[in-house]
Amino acid sequence: MLSLVCALLAVVTVNGLGVYWPSQVAEVTLADGTKFLGRMIRSEVNPDTDKMSVQFKVGNREQDPQRQDFRWIRYDAILAITYPAEVYVLERVENGDFYGYLKDTAGPDLARLSGIPVAEAFPKALGSVRSKSSEEIAPISKKLLSLGNELQKTQDKILRLTYRRDRLLADSRSGNQSRASDVDRQIAELQASSQKIKEQSDRLVGQQQLRLADLRRDAVVMTNPAGKETSIALVDIVRFHDPNAMGFWAKSRYYLSRIGELLWENPRESNTEGGLFPAIFGTVMLIFLMAIACFPLGVLAGIYLGEYAKEGFLIRLVRIAVNNLAGIPSIVYGIFGLGFFVYGVGGLLDQWFFPERVASGTPTFGTGGILWASLTLGLLTVPVVIVSTEEALQAIPRAAREGSFALGATKFQTLVRVLLPTASPGMMTGFILAMARAAGEVAPLMITGVVKLAPQMPVDGDFPFFHLDRKFMHLGFHIYDVGFQSPNVEASKPMVFVTTLLLLIIVLAMTSVAIYLRNRMRRRYQVRTI
Amino acid sequence: MPTLKTASTRKAKRHDKLARWVITLGGIIVIASVVAILALIVGVTIPLFRTPTANVVCTCRLPESLPIDDVLQLGIDRDLDDTRVTGFVWSRSGAVAWIDLRTGKLIGQEQLSPPGGNARSTLRQVESLGVGKYSLSWSGGAASLVEIVPQRANRKETHATRYVIRSLATIPASKNQESQQILVRRSETGAITQATRLPDATIAILREVTTETLMGDEEVSTHRSVLRDDIIARVCTMTMGREGNTLYAGTDDGRLIRWQLDEEGQLARREVIRAYSDGRAITALALVLGDVSLAVGDAKGQLTTWSPVNADGTRKLRAIHELQPHHGPIRAILPSGRNKSIFSLGEDGVMHLDHMTSERHLLSIGPEESRPICQVALGPRGDTLLGLDASGVMTAWQIDGGCPEISLKTLFGKVSYEGYDSPEYVWQTTGGEDFEPKYSLVPLIFGTLKGTFYAMLFAVPIAVFGAMYVSYFTTPGFRRTIKPVVEIMASVPSVVIGFLIALWLAPIIGHWILAFFASLIVVPATFVVFMAAWQLLRRFHWAKRVENGYEFLIVLPVLLGGVGLAVCLAAPLEAWFFDGNFQRWLFEGPLGMQYDQRNNIIIAFGLGFTVIPIIFSIAEDSLSNVPYHLTAASMAVGASRWQTLWRVVLPSASPGIFAAMMIGFGRAVGETMIVLMATGNTPILDWSPLNGMRTLSANIAVEIPEAPVGGTLYRVLFLCAVLLFLLTFTVNTAAELVRQRLRKRFGRF
Repeated sequence: MLSLVCALLAVVTVNGLGVYWPSQVAEVTLADGTKFLGRMIRSEVNPDTDKMSVQFKVGNREQDPQRQDFRWIRYDAILAITYPAEVYVLERVENGDFYGYLKDTAGPDLARLSGIPVAEAFPKALGSVRSKSSEEIAPISKKLLSLGNELQKTQDKILRLTYRRDRLLADSRSGNQSRASDVDRQIAELQASSQKIKEQSDRLVGQQQLRLADLRRDAVVMTNPAGKETSIALVDIVRFHDPNAMGFWAKSRYYLSRIGELLWENPRESNTEGGLFPAIFGTVMLIFLMAIACFPLGVLAGIYLGEYAKEGFLIRLVRIAVNNLAGIPSIVYGIFGLGFFVYGVGGLLDQWFFPERVASGTPTFGTGGILWASLTLGLLTVPVVIVSTEEALQAIPRAAREGSFALGATKFQTLVRVLLPTASPGMMTGFILAMARAAGEVAPLMITGVVKLAPQMPVDGDFPFFHLDRKFMHLGFHIYDVGFQSPNVEASKPMVFVTTLLLLIIVLAMTSVAIYLRNRMRRRYQVRTI
Repeated sequence: MPTLKTASTRKAKRHDKLARWVITLGGIIVIASVVAILALIVGVTIPLFRTPTANVVCTCRLPESLPIDDVLQLGIDRDLDDTRVTGFVWSRSGAVAWIDLRTGKLIGQEQLSPPGGNARSTLRQVESLGVGKYSLSWSGGAASLVEIVPQRANRKETHATRYVIRSLATIPASKNQESQQILVRRSETGAITQATRLPDATIAILREVTTETLMGDEEVSTHRSVLRDDIIARVCTMTMGREGNTLYAGTDDGRLIRWQLDEEGQLARREVIRAYSDGRAITALALVLGDVSLAVGDAKGQLTTWSPVNADGTRKLRAIHELQPHHGPIRAILPSGRNKSIFSLGEDGVMHLDHMTSERHLLSIGPEESRPICQVALGPRGDTLLGLDASGVMTAWQIDGGCPEISLKTLFGKVSYEGYDSPEYVWQTTGGEDFEPKYSLVPLIFGTLKGTFYAMLFAVPIAVFGAMYVSYFTTPGFRRTIKPVVEIMASVPSVVIGFLIALWLAPIIGHWILAFFASLIVVPATFVVFMAAWQLLRRFHWAKRVENGYEFLIVLPVLLGGVGLAVCLAAPLEAWFFDGNFQRWLFEGPLGMQYDQRNNIIIAFGLGFTVIPIIFSIAEDSLSNVPYHLTAASMAVGASRWQTLWRVVLPSASPGIFAAMMIGFGRAVGETMIVLMATGNTPILDWSPLNGMRTLSANIAVEIPEAPVGGTLYRVLFLCAVLLFLLTFTVNTAAELVRQRLRKRFGRF
């Protein structure tokens, strides 16, 4: 059993950690004279050909007619494998990696770099293009974003007013006609302003396109082993490295930069590359909200069961119910969340506050969102908190309670001043275990609001800052989605392993802390009771 | 004793009281939520079994200008927001009138001119083809196909303000002979088929196929053929498939005839079967939505559906479903345009609504309060019904609610579906518009139990023996390390396990499948050999020291050695016995088993991984809580450790171990992500561990995103959740009761 756990952890760690380590790129010469660059992945008997073959990961996806990332080459077809130091790997915004040799930098702004060797010129050129893009394009993008938000708000207002007008018109009481025409006027004003915003943003988009086209003229010329030249715009390059020339420290630096990207950047290429920031944020936010919803209730119920309720048939029933709650499959909670929170409570909220959006078919709360998902999870984890609170209270020796009563304290005073402080490590254990369980649950989220790609985060700079109705991303769902629903499963495997490792680290760290806390508490009581 | 009555004690008391209320409330909320979860989920499923109701929307009299004897056919159209209900009345003169059914006023009228320019000809029959389409047969033998199209005043308007008649096809009379029945159909590609039953016991078939030539012109080719058959003289009713390829007829002596027509309208196959041996007349025929099943009504009031079934190599019509009988002969059958429901009107004026698949009788209408209904029509959405009774009163009914396709039999029993040769358990919920949804929960329950069974087979021995070893044989130090490890194992998210076993373990097992089977024999065998060898080694002092709690250090290499041996053996075994490819041998050989890469062995590993820690920790608890004096007494009378464990500890701890298994079972039953990721999710009934299955929980996750809220599928999925809830609830409650009893016996643990 121990070995099972170790095996699992080892598999995840090896596969997860190895992903970003820059391994060497080989130049392979085949028997028919063709050459290509690729990273050796593994060698085994290929099931298709029954011959010992090597699998290479090749870049340059756009040049392959089938857009494949991997090539199987038979052993006997390989003439030579060399590791030339000049190989560069360019990580691009689209189409994955490019493997090749640096030839030249070209572009109107790069003339000053023409004298120096290309290996030095290339980083400089990249740096200057990046700083230019952050100077010229980033402000425009920022402005576009805020314009988009403004537009959205205006359109929401128009929707609301239109709904009101329709309601007024449908009700033929006197005075409604004039009110409706008032509303109509407001709508017209808003429409005019939204039109203005649209024009403005169109203009900005045009400017952005122009600048981008300008920047795109600065490119790097790469050659492949066959000598074919390819020009790649510098703005499209995310990062580059020359793995065969890198020393250990250079590789480590590169590795760290990739980890940084993973933690802080947005995903690219339908989630198979780039970072995990929205998913990490979604997971943390979800657990946070769940904690707010579930801990007070769980603690209250635990105290009730442990201290206030009188032992009897009813309490026995309640215990059974609580233990049962812990055993109910999570998908049942999910479907309850869907039926009760999303369509029940959410539908009601929508009818009260956003009737115009129901009518237009875009419900606000009547669809999955982070609030409903976290409440569902809260319900799911409440039994853990109840049981641990009750157990922590029961573990306190009777002497402590009786001592407090003897001093004339009321039950509440005893509870607050004596019992809860003593029981707090035990309750803390329960909290952490509940959070760990919540972090790892995916099934109920899938039906209450998790999505593969959320355009907006649940917290941002827009009033009212917390958008609990929004859908969100989640690490666990990310694993399921990228690993099983993505079109290019083989290429996305590394990403899934990294995500898995991250999720495991989060969950196991929480659990370990909980176990440590509990063990410490146990030791303390053992000493005291003797 | 003097009581203290200071402000602070009063405050403290007030707080105490308040706290008591708040805390009690919190406790009750939690308890209530358990009940609420079940209540809500059950509440959603209840409408599954509710019978639909028919409510009168409005009634009105037929306008004076339309004598009741003139009415040939009715039609109804209803707006979404119910502001207007319009009825159409076809009369013999060839006119169609639309009537506002709320007020009884005539809105408009249009006179159709008969094709062929014969102004004196009148309408003889009007057949409704659904969605506003009608096939008309005129006296003199001409026929036409028309559509009533609602017109809106502008795009914003929700309801139609007037109706126009659009002609889809007209077929002038070919012979100067009065026909007995004319059927006209227009297929999706625009081919028009007409079948005319003539008094001389022939059926004339006419087919017009419009094809587009290379030049882009349209070319109409007309094919004619005649079906000659003595039996045609006895035919009393006919119907034809929507595409015009199959023609059905029923005779007055209880026979059914099916003619299959080819592309050019020529007879391809003819089948005559004696449907009723008592020679009763067949009075009404209609094709149920999808054109596969034929609904047959007879003179004795029986309503049955027939569909072609494979028998001795050919497809023959067989009676499949028998629906609620009428008291008198059946006058008309109206298939719903939305699902496999059938409306039928008896000669006694009673309407029945039945569902074919579930054989449920949904409702009867009339004629207690009104006179017998003599004409009926169905609205385009299948939820509105218009009836005309003998006294000239028209009534519109709204048919509400219910999931007609669900009955206990369709959920849990074998059902004959269209296209299946025998009754079967099938879960298949999505398909085309005229698809017959199959909601059998049996494959899902079976899949759940199958997955759980193999998982328990893997997990229970490991967990229980592990618990025994840890609680009675090993050193305290090892025990202290293993417990947190098991807890960590329990906290590994199931999505991680699912991902690993599906994408990492499944290919490995697939590659080494023979080694896996070999290790089932080889590993125990190595153990036996090792045991025998150990008896010799025991004579040495160091070996004895290992026996005091460090056995695992020795056993682990043996285990690995056994697996290694199996792996080494696999390749030669495969070459010698299985023609070099075990998977092919499995499929083509005597076993005939299909090997799926994502199979039940994989699932057993995955589910086992989640279940082992649960079973282990509860079993370990109950084992180590057996009072020390029992084991001490046993040891004192000279029993060995093994004897003590087997005879003393296990009997007293067995309820606890049983409870552990139950709780593990409950967890395995409800696990979703692992099963979702690591099986193909195919709902099949097959015990083989080499293929996948679909469980109740994965089924919910797979189907709920596509299920329309409040629809049948949505409610059936909630029913799945109820089943899961009940299953885990009973198992957990039983386990909990066992544990509470144990607690009483041995003090708390």
